[in-house]
Amino acid sequence: MQILAQLIVSGIAVGMIYGVIAFGYQLTFATSETLNFGQGEALMLGSLVGLTVVAVTGYWLMLPIVLAFGLLQGAVVERLGVRQAIKTKSESGWIMATIALGIIFKNMAENIWGRDALKFPSPLPETPLSFMGVNVLPMELVIVVGALGLMLAVEAFNRKSIYGKAVVATAADRDAAGLMGINTSVVITFSYALSSMTAAFAGVLVAPVTLTGASMGGVLGLKAFSVAIIGGLSSGMGVVVGGLILGITETLTGFYLSTGYKDVPGLVLLLLVLSLKPAGLFGRTAIKKV
Amino acid sequence: MRAHQFMLTLAATTMLAGVASAQPIKVGLTGPYTGGSASMGVSMRDGAKLAVAEINKAGGVLGRPLLLVERDDEAKNEVGVQIAQELINKEQVVATLGFINTGVALASQRFYQEAEIPVLNNVATGSLITQQFLPPKEKANYVFRFAANDLIQSAMIVDEAITRRGFKAPAILADSTNYGQLGREDLERALGKKGVKPVAVEKFNIGDTDMTAQLLRAKEANADVVLTYGIGPELAQIANGMAKLGWKRPLIGSWTLSMATFIDNAGPNGDGASMPETFIQVPNTPKRKAFIEAYQAAYKVDRMPSPVSAAQGYDSVYVLAAAITQAKSTDGAKIRTALENLTAKVEGVVTNYDHPFTATDHESVTANMPVFGLVKGGRVVPAHDEDVAGANALRLKSK
Repeated sequence: MQILAQLIVSGIAVGMIYGVIAFGYQLTFATSETLNFGQGEALMLGSLVGLTVVAVTGYWLMLPIVLAFGLLQGAVVERLGVRQAIKTKSESGWIMATIALGIIFKNMAENIWGRDALKFPSPLPETPLSFMGVNVLPMELVIVVGALGLMLAVEAFNRKSIYGKAVVATAADRDAAGLMGINTSVVITFSYALSSMTAAFAGVLVAPVTLTGASMGGVLGLKAFSVAIIGGLSSGMGVVVGGLILGITETLTGFYLSTGYKDVPGLVLLLLVLSLKPAGLFGRTAIKKV
Repeated sequence: MRAHQFMLTLAATTMLAGVASAQPIKVGLTGPYTGGSASMGVSMRDGAKLAVAEINKAGGVLGRPLLLVERDDEAKNEVGVQIAQELINKEQVVATLGFINTGVALASQRFYQEAEIPVLNNVATGSLITQQFLPPKEKANYVFRFAANDLIQSAMIVDEAITRRGFKAPAILADSTNYGQLGREDLERALGKKGVKPVAVEKFNIGDTDMTAQLLRAKEANADVVLTYGIGPELAQIANGMAKLGWKRPLIGSWTLSMATFIDNAGPNGDGASMPETFIQVPNTPKRKAFIEAYQAAYKVDRMPSPVSAAQGYDSVYVLAAAITQAKSTDGAKIRTALENLTAKVEGVVTNYDHPFTATDHESVTANMPVFGLVKGGRVVPAHDEDVAGANALRLKSK
């Protein structure tokens, strides 16, 4: 029982990491039906910039700087990689462009920070807390709380503020929103900025636990992508649940089945979701009229 | 007096000029200088450069200076293959030093073998590396090694864990790469010879950040020691995961536990991890003292990123220089023959090389030479002081 609890707790911690990265995919998909395939790299850049800044400012002051950096980085991605594709209604141009930008960011990071895995200083003590025999790192609790907090803040912003309403309107119907006087291209740029901001925040949040480095975006970005598919790209709630499902299945299979097959059930789940409910567990099925 | 001094200066200048103007002897130097195994590649390169600088300062080889042609293989097999062809065909090197990664070595060596150019493998440990081109199937084997191979390391790990420290229930944690899985097989075989069956055999992937499942399985199997075959970052996650679960067991594993990425990322959690090392940064012989000081002065570091790689890289240059001198030629086949019958005794950092190779034995390191290192306070120190003291300090190849 204790073991099951420990596995679930660790699974939740890993799952929230996936979930908060996947949340970034969801943000841009909602407004523009495009994704930033360099989401993992946005995470990595945020975390490495954070690592450099943290030495000067300390952990808490570093956060707003990293958030600002994320906003900027996302806007750059949209301007360079996505805008043109949306304008010409290209079905796939943005895919290659965001992948290419991701590779460029990765190479830049390799030149600036090297390719070794680096340790990110933890703002909290690294001794585990124990609840009835289940151990958890303080930083893992911060990841869960921080990720949920960030996602709630973004959702609240979208639902309550006038700017957020423009985002929601664009998500609901881009053309209609345009006719209502909403500058949809600014909204899309903004959603990319917001998406990279969450990724950058996720980067500094998870780095004390996962280590950081130019290659950290690869595996995490990919896992988060399957989470986004499982949960549904159109649902913020879906990616959280998707992340938890993937994280917990990974640790459970690793323990009860075999650590050699740890990644398999997640992928099987992905295939099942794709074949039975392609929009994802929580996604709305959109009917495309032709 | 004046004239005498003048003549001396003149003689020295002409000698230097002679070395400088003579056609340099080109030697390839390939390893990952970027990427996950960069700390090993860079240390190996820096060690080799140090030796080349010393040799050139003393007049070079055959009156000619050595020139290293450095190439970054990024630990990628396909890049290694390209570099091999470039070094052979375009740069026309007389020999190549290098290879950190077993996969890159296995993919690239074929080209040197076909071109009859010796390869001095100074870090990669895969058991197969020196066995790829054995006579009589091939005319001669052009691959030599200066590192402790995985067979030696796995046997040492098991010896240390079971015999010397008396553990009964080992768990094996190995990564899913060739390196990890071949190492795991070697470990299981070595355990089998002692009649011990591992209580858990677990696998992890490169980039895994959570080791809860692997460690809990080992814990549930009541493992009393964890044997590892992986590389720095994931090994650090194992040490950190143990601290998180509050389940501390000694980590004993391959020499990658001495990588800076393990030591730095595991921090205090990595203390006590131990691994076989051909060289530990301890000045227990005059040669080692001189080498450590020269390295620290040249590269302005206190802790060498990977002392083993630096020492093996350094030694390989001196042995190659001795072979070229003996061959009186830069012809690949003649250098190989000289390496296999080296008469000069070469004083090295890892050991003193006295007939290090024969036609059938291309391994300069034997099982009696490495000692156990231990991570302590961010550095690798000898695990057992008696291993590196007195007559044990310098270990010669067993014949």
